[in-house]
Amino acid sequence: MQAFDCAIVGAGPAGMSAAIRLARGGATVAVLDRATRAGGQIYRAAADNPLPDAAALGPDYTEGAALIAEFERADITYFTQADAWHLGDDGRVLFSHQGDTRELHCREMLLCPGAMERPMPIPGWTLPGVMTAGAAQVMLKSDAMVAGGAIFTGSGPLLYLIVAQYLRLGVPVAALVDTTPRRNYLDAAPLLPRALRCLPMLTKGLSLLREIRAAGVRTYRGAHNLRVLGTERAEGLRFNAGGRSHDIAADTVFLHHGVQPNLNMTRAMDLAHRWNPEQLSWQVETDAFGQSSVPHVSVAGDGAGIVGADGARAAGRLAALNILCRLGRLPRADRDRAAAPDLAARAAMAPFRAFIDRLYRPTDALRLPQDPATLVCRCEEQSLAQLRAGFDQGASDPNALKSLTRCGMGPCQGRQCGHIVAGLLSDWRGEPPEAVGYYRLRSPQRLLTLDELSRFHAASAQARAEAAE
Amino acid sequence: MKADVLIIGGGIQGCATAYHLARRGVSVIVLEKDYVARNASGVNAGGVRLLGRDMAEVPLSKASMEMWQALSEELGHDTGFRRQGLINIAVDEADMDTLRAREAKMRAEGYAHERIICRDELRARLPHVNPDCVGGVTSELDGYAIPYKATSAFRLAAERHGARVVEGEELLSLRRVGGSWLAQGSTTRFEADTVVNCAGAWADRIALMIGDNVPLSHAAPMLMITARMPHFAKPVVGAVSRQLSFKQFGNGTILIGGGAKGFADRAAGRTRLDYAKLAAAARTTAEFFPIMRRAAINRMWAGLEAYMPDNLPVIGPAVNAARAFHAFGFSAHGFQMGPVVGQVMADLVTTGHSQFPLGAFRIDRYDRKVL
Repeated sequence: MQAFDCAIVGAGPAGMSAAIRLARGGATVAVLDRATRAGGQIYRAAADNPLPDAAALGPDYTEGAALIAEFERADITYFTQADAWHLGDDGRVLFSHQGDTRELHCREMLLCPGAMERPMPIPGWTLPGVMTAGAAQVMLKSDAMVAGGAIFTGSGPLLYLIVAQYLRLGVPVAALVDTTPRRNYLDAAPLLPRALRCLPMLTKGLSLLREIRAAGVRTYRGAHNLRVLGTERAEGLRFNAGGRSHDIAADTVFLHHGVQPNLNMTRAMDLAHRWNPEQLSWQVETDAFGQSSVPHVSVAGDGAGIVGADGARAAGRLAALNILCRLGRLPRADRDRAAAPDLAARAAMAPFRAFIDRLYRPTDALRLPQDPATLVCRCEEQSLAQLRAGFDQGASDPNALKSLTRCGMGPCQGRQCGHIVAGLLSDWRGEPPEAVGYYRLRSPQRLLTLDELSRFHAASAQARAEAAE
Repeated sequence: MKADVLIIGGGIQGCATAYHLARRGVSVIVLEKDYVARNASGVNAGGVRLLGRDMAEVPLSKASMEMWQALSEELGHDTGFRRQGLINIAVDEADMDTLRAREAKMRAEGYAHERIICRDELRARLPHVNPDCVGGVTSELDGYAIPYKATSAFRLAAERHGARVVEGEELLSLRRVGGSWLAQGSTTRFEADTVVNCAGAWADRIALMIGDNVPLSHAAPMLMITARMPHFAKPVVGAVSRQLSFKQFGNGTILIGGGAKGFADRAAGRTRLDYAKLAAAARTTAEFFPIMRRAAINRMWAGLEAYMPDNLPVIGPAVNAARAFHAFGFSAHGFQMGPVVGQVMADLVTTGHSQFPLGAFRIDRYDRKVL
């Protein structure tokens, strides 16, 4: 068993930035990441991209390679393909590594779990051939694989980004079916003047949209009443737009309407969370440095509320400064001085973030299933109607509903359905999400074979044995 | 709110008591600080076990087992009960001697529900068992139920008969004034002629409010459940002298228990797991059933459970107050007894008597002992 000043879980932009800063400050750092190479989702395979010309993915992606290089040069104990399956608020981390469970202890823990895509439970969303835009990104970045003639539907910057990336690579796109409600433009308009101060971000977004338009992709706006066509697998998409119904044929339908924090680690640790009404998601409560309700546990990056890659880098640096301060390696005044530029940049970005959050705020009709037959829990195949029946039998708490229907009990442990179930119960009870709460999440954070667990001998057991002697 | 009877605790004992009282026309309120079946009654291993009971519990447990067989039909809601049989495995002749001694004792009392099985029958019923095992003992009426569903079924049946269940309301104080119990909840006041303490791991605090001291402790027995596997074990499985306990549910998932305890933080309402002990449970399971090595653990948890020093429950009237009754401290084997305890408590409340011997379960059985 090894002990570190800080253990970081997740090697995306936040985790890498934090690790670099901590190592520079003299702290001993362990980084655990599930992938073979650092980068997280956004910089996935940025260091060794399989595409002939990764420039098609855009400069925001390719600049990840420099960060990865700096991270890999730094004095850090880096465990690749390491799956943390238990994070204790006592600073104990259990993780699967090369088939065995290993244990490490840390004074400070930094969680960088990143974001996951908001589920879009429209009828047919569980059919083969329906994937998320994030899955399209993963295929593209890791394996240089694309799906020609696909429909992209939903809303938000990442959806437009992947469409633009496809077009740059010459991959045909059947249609972009944009679900951003017309009302969102009106709602977001008052926030635009302040957002204009972040002009580079706005122009970046606008140029993506212009690029898609210039390529002549069939585009529908204000789409609603979506339904994936097909019974055995996806055959196309039906939706209403411009006052009439459309059927578009395609083998592949990519869904996306925003991302939300991946709550599994922070919830399993019982850190305090709050409901973010702008991003319509739960997020862990932290101070400006990412310190959570458990002082020696910090959270940085999208896992603490969606901030994007640059925001995540800054959050990682800020968390590192605070952790160095807590470790006694950096005086408080120095921490604050060093933090000032990133804190100022974050404040400057806030109006842009507020504008984007409002503009791409998902409608309830896409966030929550509407058709009684639509599956909510994919693992245990629980439909909206079955959940409603459970609620009518008195299970009005997410955990009670889980116990009764098994919704959220499958291998994904509620990652997919957690927000949907909380949203449904909030509607049915007529109470805010804060009153409804969320699943109690449990270890292991991923499936763990009995074989692996049976070979685990905890340091505590060894200590007990020594004490007995 | 007023009722004839106020039941503290919405676990299976409280909900079953509410059901049996309500169907007799008694007005009942169940007060639950979280939600029904939140704690031990909802997150336990679901074992419905008559095998290996303490002699003092056998009459109650036997009667309860009869009730389980048709309980879903009686309550009008699925309890998830499946009669699968239970086998406790013997690893050596010492285990077999233990079983034979037990059998002699059971026969002397006139009980015939436990039957010793030989190596061949063990192998026939559990083909994947480690071939070194020499035999075992079985009880055919045993099986499992789904804890949350069973408790919820009692609750829904009780409500159908007019019982009221108040969730998210914690009992702050309880006083006997004249012929009434006055209860102050976190938002509401309650008044009742009779109180029944079914508060599980919190029952010692309620007992104090009533006026009875009791040496109750609490602990956090741990469980783990796997992802679905092809069916390989019909009966529920235990062992005579080892910490082995698992069952494969109808959906193929396997729940592994064994009694290893984690850490119970009652004040914070939380439990923590002891992974070293879970690893030991995994080793034991894999030793007995090598096929289980491939199982993928999906979730591990622990629930807060109340224990008495002798591992026997408290069932009966309060000794220091009138019109108050207790049913708690089941020491990790109360789920199976829920149906009969509901009936016993309803008998005590309405007639003052029970057909079952309850002497071993008196709340004051430790009053003169030094623990």
